[in-house]
Amino acid sequence: MLENIVSALDILFQPARLLALFVGMLAGMVFGMLPGLGGVAAVSILLPFIYLMDGYAGLAMLLGAISVIYTSDTITSVLLGAPGSPASAPTAIEGHALAKQGKAALALGVGFLASMVGGLFGALILSVAIPIAGPLVLALGTPELFMFALVGLCFAASMVSRDIALGLAAACFGILLGVVGAAPAAANYRFIFGQSYLMDGLSLPIVALGLFAVAELISMVASGGGIAGKPMALGKWGESFREFWRSRWLVCRASVIGIFGGFVPAVGASASTWIAYGHAMSTSKDKRRFGKGEIRGVASAEGANNATVISDLVPTMLFSVPGGPAAAIFLGALFSFGFYPGPRMVSESPDLMYMIVWSVALASVLGAAICFAVTPYIARLTRVNFALIAAPLLLIMVAGAYQGTQTFGDILALLVLGIVGWLMKNAGIPRAPVLVGFVLATPMEQYFWLTTQIHGFTWLTRPGVLIIASLIAIPLVLNAVRWLRRRRTAVPQTETAVPGEEPPGHDSGIVLFTALLMVAAFGYALVEMLGFRPNARLMPSLGIVPGLLLSLYVLGRQLFRLHRQGRVANLASRRELPILGGILSYGLAMWLIGFNLATPLLLGWLLLGCARMRWHTALLYGLAVYAVAQGMFTLMRLTPPRGTLLDLPMPW
Amino acid sequence: MILPDTPLKSLSAAVLVAAGGLAAAPAMADDFYSGKTIEMVVPFGEGGATYVAAKFLEPFLEKHLPGNPQVNVRTRPGGGSILGANWFQQNAEPDGETILFTTSSTSNPYVLGMEEVEYDLAAMRPAYSLPFGAVIYVSPRTGIETPTDLHSPDMPLIYGGIAAAASDLPVLLAFELLDLDLRAVLGFDGRGPARLAFERGETNIDFQFTPAYMSQVVDMVEAGSAVPIMTGGSVGDDGVLSARDLAFPDYPSVYEVYEELHGEPPSGVEWDAFQAIGATTFNFGLTAYLPEGTPDEVIEIFEQTIAAINDDPDYQEQSQDAIGGYDLLPASAVTDSLSEALQPSDAVRDYLRTLLSEKYDVEL
Repeated sequence: MLENIVSALDILFQPARLLALFVGMLAGMVFGMLPGLGGVAAVSILLPFIYLMDGYAGLAMLLGAISVIYTSDTITSVLLGAPGSPASAPTAIEGHALAKQGKAALALGVGFLASMVGGLFGALILSVAIPIAGPLVLALGTPELFMFALVGLCFAASMVSRDIALGLAAACFGILLGVVGAAPAAANYRFIFGQSYLMDGLSLPIVALGLFAVAELISMVASGGGIAGKPMALGKWGESFREFWRSRWLVCRASVIGIFGGFVPAVGASASTWIAYGHAMSTSKDKRRFGKGEIRGVASAEGANNATVISDLVPTMLFSVPGGPAAAIFLGALFSFGFYPGPRMVSESPDLMYMIVWSVALASVLGAAICFAVTPYIARLTRVNFALIAAPLLLIMVAGAYQGTQTFGDILALLVLGIVGWLMKNAGIPRAPVLVGFVLATPMEQYFWLTTQIHGFTWLTRPGVLIIASLIAIPLVLNAVRWLRRRRTAVPQTETAVPGEEPPGHDSGIVLFTALLMVAAFGYALVEMLGFRPNARLMPSLGIVPGLLLSLYVLGRQLFRLHRQGRVANLASRRELPILGGILSYGLAMWLIGFNLATPLLLGWLLLGCARMRWHTALLYGLAVYAVAQGMFTLMRLTPPRGTLLDLPMPW
Repeated sequence: MILPDTPLKSLSAAVLVAAGGLAAAPAMADDFYSGKTIEMVVPFGEGGATYVAAKFLEPFLEKHLPGNPQVNVRTRPGGGSILGANWFQQNAEPDGETILFTTSSTSNPYVLGMEEVEYDLAAMRPAYSLPFGAVIYVSPRTGIETPTDLHSPDMPLIYGGIAAAASDLPVLLAFELLDLDLRAVLGFDGRGPARLAFERGETNIDFQFTPAYMSQVVDMVEAGSAVPIMTGGSVGDDGVLSARDLAFPDYPSVYEVYEELHGEPPSGVEWDAFQAIGATTFNFGLTAYLPEGTPDEVIEIFEQTIAAINDDPDYQEQSQDAIGGYDLLPASAVTDSLSEALQPSDAVRDYLRTLLSEKYDVEL
């Protein structure tokens, strides 16, 4: 074994392979930082290039990208408040709150270090795949997988926001989005409106891009300044090292939770991150700072998500069952290079296994170091007029979305979800639970169905189920009890205080409109659902019925508030409407005259109209951005969306 | 792995000779693809089995097609492969430069006549096929050692699958044909997760396609934790799935198992349904389609290219691990049998639709 560890290092330390690992890391870091684009986008863009190399170099390139995605997306989550994936949502909540308090460096530093530790834990579990990890994966039966997903969703829904009704309604809405497409239990297509585009359901990158990135983009362009409003102070790195050392055991425990997340196909990081976050909360004495900038929240989430993405490779290597979407593409790459994953491959070519372990470990450490180095430069970008950054960012998002199926449905879904995200943002409805509900709806439904089919109701007595339930759900129950007790004593004040008081910063007209829209959506979904086959109804009903009741409650509460105030107050979001309109027009223009012609119009509007650049600098910058966007499409081997009326083909 | 000397193969040789004779100027075909690019559309995501097989074939096609074109594998996932196939139907020109490379996930919805299907597979021209065999195996706990034990297991049989109308269909039809008493639990994410459930003992009868069987199940068989029972078979001299799978000559086909159990060869609508769906899933598992109206010249070019690839020692060496060691089937060995399988009689179609909607709750 020892000689394999050394010879694997020998294999990796060839200039070409190290270079490949490094290039993969850079690509992974850039894609991690771009909102909405994550591991899958990075790995699928790199995929055609790995065929130009030898097997080890190609695999090292993919591993480099996979290992650093969740490290570098900390930067976007903290500075922008838009998570790159559901697994970074806690980081976005806590880290962005810290950034607003001028403690961005603390959040980022702890995030990078925790990510690094998570990655190293992942590498460790990979290196003991055969004796330890394999049996663990086989010990997790379908009921245990279901429990894991359920507990993850419970944690995410229970700690979303102070306004529990809004948080739960958002999680229900996420479930509704998640059940679009084919039902796992009965061959029934749900909510597809006769569109074959929706048969596979909505894709995660498009949902994440629409809900978060498009909505943030609109309000930032509208505000006319930089991302931070005022120059964002990074703060000192030193404090982050001290804080990291203080929560070192928390990070280790979070990494172990993350490792188990990797053993659960399809559920993975979205559940384990929230479970780790919940664990941080239940082991903290002072829980009030959670949601307002608690560094332990960042430390636990970042430790867990990086450990998960690496331990996703364990089921991939041992059973050729990918633990996550990026691991699925990695599996394809292994096949292409003539490696056929399975216990035999792991025991017969230990060199490959340890080469993977070394790549992951090296990339985790180097990735964190590079993140520390580049952050000051990226933080400077937050002072630039956002309309300038918005232009390339929007084009990247279009390209990222269009990668889904390369039909106009991708663009349409992005824009519709962008409107939804914008409404939710302005109505003060948290969006993280939507993402978690969306991701977990399908695996939960699938595992629940399989569990009851295979085991009847005896699954509830399985030791694994009881262990997961007791280890993780007991603190949750204790917290709920504590919370209820506190609430009971606090009821008199809240009853009188809440109804009349408008939460600050939310457009009451938008709140009303969004509540109405949600009632309509859930109501329609309920009617539609009654036509489904019985087996296809369970999961949608779990989202739709409480969702309808909650949104009715929110609507009633809002009407009551408006009645008390006697006027529609706080129309802050109205000034963002022109920007929303502009982006929707861009979508329409793309449909009519194609990406190649519509994009110059968009650039003109953003650079001259919004950023008020002088026309010749705008022309230069616009040309550069346009060239980069076209290069992006070429790199991804995509033809940009064509117009239905006329189209300008590109010469290549 | 060599194609048995069947009339089909002799036929293909005859076609080749005729083609050679007819094409008075072979130089024309020699540089047909010179400077051109072929786009091989895979209607599934990157990293899937179809993508991997397409990438495996890519360099061989580039090497052996006349004029050495560049072959680009392009993924267009969505709608369980229907979106990509619809795109191909609407956009591909019949010039031999766009190929649809796909599986029974595309042909089953076509055969079943699903609403979302906008493509006419039977009108397209197959360029070549790659067989994609499968082995059905059971857990030793069932006490089943040979196919004859299938009707007397020690414990109830539980099968784990993905969806009745998708790649599980031929195996479910085989179970129907053999009249097995088993419970099918559908809803798994893929064949890999279904195999994990088998390894955990949650299910006790399973099947895997050849590449996954080779890398995962062979070890289990050696360790005594899985017992191979039968294969889907391959298309024999009679144009139906009566022959043994070429990758597993030791295991009986479904056809043989039926014969052994009933003392007569299978017939009737249950067999016709299994034959139609099984042929497109196993024997023509991965098929490259050219658009309707593609000239014979292109088909002939592929006929010769496929023969050259099959003779390539590199292909013979690498295909064993990558794709189960099957030879590629040229158009002459594919067209008639595939066309028949894609257009079953109304009785078969009705049987399939009734079975799926009544037994498996599928909305069609």
